[in-house]
Amino acid sequence: MSSAQIEIQLIASLVAIACAIPGTFLVLRKMALISDAISHSILPGLVLGFFITQDLSSPWLIVMAALSGVVTVILVEYIQKTNLVKEDTAIGLVFPTMFSIGVILIAKNANDVHLDIDVVLLGELAFTPFDRMMVGDVDLGPKSLWVIGIILSSTIGLLIAFFKELKISTFDKGLATTLGFSPAIIHYGLMSVASVTTVGAFDAVGAILVVALMIAPAATAYLLTTDLKKMLGLAMIFGVFSAIVGYWLAHYLDASISGSMTTILGLLFLLVYLIAPGKGLIAVLYRNKQQRIEVSLLTFLLHLNNHSEIEERHINHLNEHINWRKVRAKFVVDLALKNNMVTIDEDIISLTEKGRIFTEKAINYIISNDPTEIEAIKEDFFLFRG
Amino acid sequence: MKNPNQKLAVAVDDLTVAYNYKPVLWDIDLAIPEGVLMAIVGPNGAGKSTLIKAILGILDPIAGSVQIYGKPYDKQRKLVAYVPQKGSVDWDFPTTAVDVVTMGTYGSLGWIKRPGRKEKKAALEALEKVGMLAFKDRQISQLSGGQQQRVFLARALVQDASIYFMDEPFQGVDATTEIAIINILKELRKKGKTVIVVHHDLQTVPEYFDWVTFLNVKKIATGPVKDIFNDDNLTKTYGINYKVSVQK
Repeated sequence: MSSAQIEIQLIASLVAIACAIPGTFLVLRKMALISDAISHSILPGLVLGFFITQDLSSPWLIVMAALSGVVTVILVEYIQKTNLVKEDTAIGLVFPTMFSIGVILIAKNANDVHLDIDVVLLGELAFTPFDRMMVGDVDLGPKSLWVIGIILSSTIGLLIAFFKELKISTFDKGLATTLGFSPAIIHYGLMSVASVTTVGAFDAVGAILVVALMIAPAATAYLLTTDLKKMLGLAMIFGVFSAIVGYWLAHYLDASISGSMTTILGLLFLLVYLIAPGKGLIAVLYRNKQQRIEVSLLTFLLHLNNHSEIEERHINHLNEHINWRKVRAKFVVDLALKNNMVTIDEDIISLTEKGRIFTEKAINYIISNDPTEIEAIKEDFFLFRG
Repeated sequence: MKNPNQKLAVAVDDLTVAYNYKPVLWDIDLAIPEGVLMAIVGPNGAGKSTLIKAILGILDPIAGSVQIYGKPYDKQRKLVAYVPQKGSVDWDFPTTAVDVVTMGTYGSLGWIKRPGRKEKKAALEALEKVGMLAFKDRQISQLSGGQQQRVFLARALVQDASIYFMDEPFQGVDATTEIAIINILKELRKKGKTVIVVHHDLQTVPEYFDWVTFLNVKKIATGPVKDIFNDDNLTKTYGINYKVSVQK
């Protein structure tokens, strides 16, 4: 690996981590689309910053761009508050307008500088190692690395300091207000971080793909955990994973790095969506099937419990009595036998002691909703896992 | 007021709240004495939740003022606990029951400081009080509606406040949970706390509460249940000829 390759992967990884942090909270606040709006509307800020400073590497560009991101959020909220249109419409109104103002400003005035639309949209990671941070004659590494490094450190600092405030205002805005944590301050703080991060990531991945880096890792992590801290950690890991795998995919395909990173993110989400334990598609289908079987089993056991008459318990008449298809009846009887819940003696089915206790516990639980009734059998049955 | 020496927990003066210039609460005066268990009743859209939210500063009134023990709300935050409507939060949020209850301690911690062992212990005690200790590590979406409501109640208990505001705590809970909740509320009153509850079920007002406020955009009446909970006020509030025989 050349040092340029290492630098590119390092920049991409830092960008991914920096995006995952605000991204997690945007996903939880159901504001994913706002990141799209911010990423497009920072363009006029960048261009205006350039006009004022005449210097593409001035930190004022970042400040101006972040400001126009926050202005976008304020405009969206203002339009939404009129109650004339819904939030998605308000977002759709604001960001294309801001973006096109930026496009016109570039076309009219900045033709001779390195600010072209392709780079703005897609970024160009491959070029980032060429723009070096020089102090005198000493090379301190790529400038992008410094920019995103500083942004990431401040984001992590803010996250650690205000984790509790972010959590409570995201989960319960009303309670946050009454406890004296102004949700408005936290909201605009988060929006500012999202804007600054977007600006920092802009150079590397461009306006369109920065959205993917904010949303996809967080959405993937959301499927896998029920703990906010773990969700943040997983989102960062997924981000870095797709940054590095995406880089090598682009290397072998000779394609766009940012495009490959996003493709990996999409595939990763698809994979997790399919196989995630609990919330994943396969797990859900499996659980539904198991629950259906368990309900049948319980119905069957209840029937046996309620009827001591021989004719109600004859193996050949089960279908008529409980109204099952034959296949399912056999399946359920086998399951009950396997669990030693019933015995079959001359074609007559009887509950065993174990079956009787199980049935009683299950009925008691269904009636009383008291979880202690099913402590012992909870792990074996999906039905009782809440 | 029957006993003029009784301290006022909450005093609302000329409170008017509007959504888009349309008043939803009009010129409300309300004096809530310390130590009552009060129901706020009224039809849908009467502004019951709005009244609580305006008292707590979640909504800005266009006129009027609110005092908690004689001072504005933002000076008295630590005296007040709030249980919002269950539907006001996203129960799929990645967090556990004990974590939600711990959020009740954030107010006394203030900005930046993080909950430690003491806060965790208080949260576990509150969970135990509402009979939810066994579910402390359960993800909140895995709880039933009644259990979620108990977690919210525990979160308010952990604040150890003087005044409790609750927005429909009995909505969508089973009978067992309803009894458990009302017993905890009555215990709070016994300790001299003031409890204010937005309530829907008129039948249970005389049994659960000792104070009541009738609300329908304007205040209709407020006072002890045994004096003012009658067909006359119910009819004025609900606009139809209401007959809930008050069992005395």
